[in-house]
Amino acid sequence: MRDRLYLVPFGAAMLIWVYGPLVATVVISFLTWDLSSGPQEFAGAANYRALLGDADFGTAAGQTVLYAAGLLVTSIVLPLYLAVALWRRPGRAAFVYRCLLFVPMVLAPVATAISWQFVLNPLVGILGFRNWLGDPSTALATIVVITSGKLIALNTLLLSAALTSVDGDTVEAARIDGASEGRITRRIVVPQVGRTLVLLGMLTVVYAGQWSFTNIAVLTQGGPSHSTDNVYYRLYTYGFQYFDLGGASAGSVLVVCALAIPLAVGAVVRRG
Amino acid sequence: MKRLLSVAVTACLLATVGACGNSDDSSDGPITLSFLSYNYGTPDVGGEGTQQLIDAFEKSHPDITIAPQGVPVADTLTRVRSRTAAGDPPDVAQIGWSKVAAAYRGLPLTPVQDIPTADEWRSATAGLSQPLLRAVEHEGKVAAMPYTLSTPTLFYNADLFRKAGLDPAKPPATIAEAQRAGLALVRIGASGVYFDIAGASKSDFLTQSVVAANGGSVATPDGRVTFDQPAAVEALTAVQQLTTSGAQPAVAEADAIAAFKAGKLGALVTSTALLAGLEEAANGHFELRTGGMPGFAGKPVRTTFSGAGLVVLAKDDAHKQAAWEFIKFLTSAEGYTIITSKIGYLPLRPDLVKDPRYLGPYFAKDPRIGPALDQLETVRPYTFFDGPQADRAVATLQDDAVAPIVLRGADPASTLAEVAAQVRSMTGR
Repeated sequence: MRDRLYLVPFGAAMLIWVYGPLVATVVISFLTWDLSSGPQEFAGAANYRALLGDADFGTAAGQTVLYAAGLLVTSIVLPLYLAVALWRRPGRAAFVYRCLLFVPMVLAPVATAISWQFVLNPLVGILGFRNWLGDPSTALATIVVITSGKLIALNTLLLSAALTSVDGDTVEAARIDGASEGRITRRIVVPQVGRTLVLLGMLTVVYAGQWSFTNIAVLTQGGPSHSTDNVYYRLYTYGFQYFDLGGASAGSVLVVCALAIPLAVGAVVRRG
Repeated sequence: MKRLLSVAVTACLLATVGACGNSDDSSDGPITLSFLSYNYGTPDVGGEGTQQLIDAFEKSHPDITIAPQGVPVADTLTRVRSRTAAGDPPDVAQIGWSKVAAAYRGLPLTPVQDIPTADEWRSATAGLSQPLLRAVEHEGKVAAMPYTLSTPTLFYNADLFRKAGLDPAKPPATIAEAQRAGLALVRIGASGVYFDIAGASKSDFLTQSVVAANGGSVATPDGRVTFDQPAAVEALTAVQQLTTSGAQPAVAEADAIAAFKAGKLGALVTSTALLAGLEEAANGHFELRTGGMPGFAGKPVRTTFSGAGLVVLAKDDAHKQAAWEFIKFLTSAEGYTIITSKIGYLPLRPDLVKDPRYLGPYFAKDPRIGPALDQLETVRPYTFFDGPQADRAVATLQDDAVAPIVLRGADPASTLAEVAAQVRSMTGR
């Protein structure tokens, strides 16, 4: 019992900072409220109905999936390749490369986004041979690439840590048996960092929309023609630009449900 | 049920946000006035100028202390509303003009004109631009005091103009002339001209100005949607032709501003508020000149304005009176001398320009704010859409109509008709 007392500060913090606002959000999602001190009227399910009939929200939801898919490639496959490459050539050079790869992690997000704005400027930028952010067909992919910078840095580091636990004897035995390096990587190394890969994949799916938020807010504001919108930026727009707190809260509840269902199913499957 | 929900929401908000507590509730003795400003605290001329205004006010009013608070420009109304919801509104707030209608609707404002006596109001505002004061009236009175305002301005690179064989003494006066100038600039490898009307919602005052220059409007004074009418369609078609002819680059606002600062873009039509930043970039690199917004042949250019107004949210009479004293100072001759010379916004007292005690010496040295100031004489009211979805209507106009037409070749008439139908369904007008 006394052991559980140690959980009180954490539990209280969760109650105040996570579950309290969550309950408030659920309550507000059934109200019409514009963040003024004016009356908050009970709206029933009107906010949910309006949201489900809103084409912009549907587009944003679809694009949130695209962000997750795009970031899965850049934040899982590429870091895995880099981490394995560094692991196979241990030494001072690998350490230097790891440090260099980690630099994007310590840069301020808004400053990074503004730097990209200069780099991609179609009139004076060094990569301005195309209007990357102004063309609806390339804007989302460009935001994914920009967002990937930080993720590649962090995930390479996490996978490098996971690779330290790979059993060297098994790898050596495979080499003696004549297995190629590619086959050793596919059959021995990758399966041993499988848990880390699953965790990073899950984090990417859950957080893709949030990680790309700053870049969307600074670089495109969801445009051109809503092509870089995602649900998080849309909810921010509803809440803090249009002052439709009821609609924004209803959207937040839907997002929580959409993320909770696959996580709950995953938990049940794992227990099974 | 309603009451129960209100209580529940308020309880949750208080539990998670916490109330800030009022700065000063005393009604006699020294008063502390909270002032929310998006210029305050910025590491640029806006921050320095605002601090200078506060210092000068406190020196002349020792019984009033200003408690300033900075806020990012995009979050101003959000911050005011959330503080109001938590029972702790700022006494005075600087709010962008595109958000002023929402402030009228959703905030417990005291109209500025209602605080002083009629005589005091008349004497305090006698030197202010009367066309502008009429343009900012809401329900027959000045509810938000015009403070840091700007009008659309043509900024151009005189060196590039000369290189392109254009006369820098004769900047383009119409969009057709701007197109010819742009093509000449492109021929020498520059990026032509750029009308900054396709940006996010704050560019809508430039959209309104271009449409007004062709005799049209975005909405009527009572909020009826009119941007699908022929005059508006023609106006946006003219700006689209700048792009399709190659005279205007199809880029975002930030890209165009960066290119102008780098000396690559020949001309930029945007807010006067950018003057200080552009002057700094041009200094020692190229000759920056200014002109009025190019319009349409044979039609008078009548622009609207952008910038910010001051609103009063003070709860008690003592704070309201102190707020009026502060606003009166900010918009006085001394206040505008600091605002114009330090920050670069328009002096809303036109007489100061020739007055040797105030802005005379400044204007003699640098007359580049002149064209923007001249436009105040014929300034039109900033037009608001109607109803609680007005902010969304502005974003829809800019993102779904203006940007696709001007930058991506969408058909002006059908696009404006389609978006007008959407906006009518949002505003009910």
